[in-house]
Amino acid sequence: MKQRTLWSVVLATGLAVTGCGSAAPTQPSPGESKSKIVVWDWKSGEPGVTSYIEKAKADFAKKHPDVTVEFVAQPFDQYYTLLGAATQSGKGPDVMLFNGGGQIRDRVDGLLPLDQYVAEDKQRLAGWDAFSKDGTIYASPVTLQGHPIYFNKSIYQKAGLDPANPPKTWDEFVSNCAAIKKAAGAKCFALGNKEGFGIQFFMSGLGPGILTPKEYDDWIAGKRDWTSPHVKEIFSLWKKVNDDGLNNDGANSTALFNDAFGLFNTGKAASIIGLMSDIGHWKDFGEFLGADQVGVMTAPVVTSGATSVLPYDGGIGYGVAKSTKDPALATDLVRSLTSTGALTAFYTGAGAITSDTTIDVSQGAPAVAAIVPQIKDGKPALHVALSSKTLDLMGRLSQQLLSGSVSVDEAVKQLAASDKTS
Amino acid sequence: MVRSAAAERTTGAKFQRPGRHGGTGRTPRGARAERLAPFVLVAPAVLIIVALRLWPLLLGVNFSFTGDGERNGTSVGFDNYAQLLDDPLFRTALGNVGLLVALLPVAVAIPGLLATFIYLRVPGHRLFRGVYFFPAVLSPVIVGAIFNLMLGFDGPLNAALGAIGLGPIDWLGDPDVAMFTVIGVHIWATFGMALVVFLAGFSTLDAALLDAARMDGASLRQVIWHVIIPGLSRTIQFVFVTTMIGMLTSMFGLLYVMTSGGPEGSTYLPEFYVWIQQGRMNRPALASAASTVLFLIMLVVGILQVSVLRRAGRED
Repeated sequence: MKQRTLWSVVLATGLAVTGCGSAAPTQPSPGESKSKIVVWDWKSGEPGVTSYIEKAKADFAKKHPDVTVEFVAQPFDQYYTLLGAATQSGKGPDVMLFNGGGQIRDRVDGLLPLDQYVAEDKQRLAGWDAFSKDGTIYASPVTLQGHPIYFNKSIYQKAGLDPANPPKTWDEFVSNCAAIKKAAGAKCFALGNKEGFGIQFFMSGLGPGILTPKEYDDWIAGKRDWTSPHVKEIFSLWKKVNDDGLNNDGANSTALFNDAFGLFNTGKAASIIGLMSDIGHWKDFGEFLGADQVGVMTAPVVTSGATSVLPYDGGIGYGVAKSTKDPALATDLVRSLTSTGALTAFYTGAGAITSDTTIDVSQGAPAVAAIVPQIKDGKPALHVALSSKTLDLMGRLSQQLLSGSVSVDEAVKQLAASDKTS
Repeated sequence: MVRSAAAERTTGAKFQRPGRHGGTGRTPRGARAERLAPFVLVAPAVLIIVALRLWPLLLGVNFSFTGDGERNGTSVGFDNYAQLLDDPLFRTALGNVGLLVALLPVAVAIPGLLATFIYLRVPGHRLFRGVYFFPAVLSPVIVGAIFNLMLGFDGPLNAALGAIGLGPIDWLGDPDVAMFTVIGVHIWATFGMALVVFLAGFSTLDAALLDAARMDGASLRQVIWHVIIPGLSRTIQFVFVTTMIGMLTSMFGLLYVMTSGGPEGSTYLPEFYVWIQQGRMNRPALASAASTVLFLIMLVVGILQVSVLRRAGRED
């Protein structure tokens, strides 16, 4: 029995020691960290992106043959949660993918300023603004993301409208909607606002037709006048479009990703404010409607004096952690990930409109050929300038506007207050 | 359990020792080892709990008193908690916890009634027993996806309502309805377990009492009220506690899939709020504060539940 007690003591001590040991962090050996770069993203697992990753890896291997690169694809739903937790505990990746705008600006504390490393790419790539804060660049843009208004050409034809000549003004647009409803039985807009994203697309998609160029530039520059009548117009139009029955029913319970896209794809709605890359874009729609049947229009002009431009920003881009062991090596990988060869593979593989303005898209679908020339004169999208906190609030307020439980004035007031503090 | 087992072992050792040591009697050293043995034996469990539960918990609470973003790492006192109280979203989340508690009797009554019918052998009771339990094996994500389709604005349920002349209801898009919808789906998905517990409780019910009540001409309602419910009081209390735990801890999956906290933030629960603040808003310290509040709520609820269960145990 005595022996048994002893054994228990030994076992218990053993357990206690291993129990504590496993809680302590394991330090990577210096040699290992030198020759390995860890990249986090939510893209590399997708089938259309394989060739892009391969090209980028090959490009990087040419420069640094002895360094291994490990891509870790995280689920997008939890990407920023996981990234936040990993960074907090000092176990974050060296290179990581970001959405442009608020998501990266909220996290620049842990990121390496890239200006000196990516100077050569500045001309070739577009969309830097979405990855910069206070004039400093924190990531290199890979794709461009924006909000063209797509329309279904066959529905336009059915309604006796000319698909080659989409409406230029809001009045025209609304009268077209009436014709479409009558002839094709389709709604005007496919809208999904379950997640509160619908308002973001609406604001950015139609905003260029509502704000004057000066107001627009001020908004992007951070001088946002929430009391201006044109800003209010964005929200009252949002409500009016829904009240007048131009949207599909139940927008607040329709998910933008992907139920609203589904409504457009199946011809239940004639137009949708979509995206340029990743999802809900010309390539997705073309697979359902036929590439020739997907039309693109610029924002119909609501306010006289407003000029319609393509709203777009850097969509996704790669940044480098401040804590990385070898910044030059990590930024070299970022440069490989944004090389022309790799980005061409991204465009052909996934249909993304990439940041590289030197890629030839003239052989692509008509919708791409319509979008790409507008990039030169395009401006940053309105909603991207807002913080994620304000966007979250705007999502909820937009649902309240549709259900009528908040007034436009009250909504704008709350947004102004939120925008001021963040 | 641990304590009694350890005690048994030490008494066992005491018994044996004289033989082993050739009758030298108890040495001071041996006595100390004996005294220490129980502590050593519970040490692994205690260490694991302290290192993997209590220590992280303290870190989290401590973290909730620091700031986010530019104030990262600096102490901000109760700022985060003040912000929470000020945030209508968090207040909605707490209100929804209250709603869950208020709807608890419904969540217990449904499986209780259905189990009663099965026990009273309504026609097809064998089939119903299986059918009722079936949803309990589905994951919340699958249940949520199914009901997303069913309850869509242009979904089959609204089509059916339309066919009988009732207007469509935006089940998941109307802030006054959405929370009830999600709770309803949660009850549908989980009542099978409670049903099984009730059926187990029925098997301990004295059939002679039921027969006697019937002989005396009691109606079904009287049988339920005066015979079944008093006979099952322990089971009912147990189901109350487990259903409460289920509602407070496992709604996240359904919420995430069905409403994502919307519409208008009406279906937030504290755990969903924590997740949003940490992941989407990049406010880990605020999320820690919310977690701490959630922890305190669960602590209070847990203590209440334990005392209810203990009282139920004594009654027996």
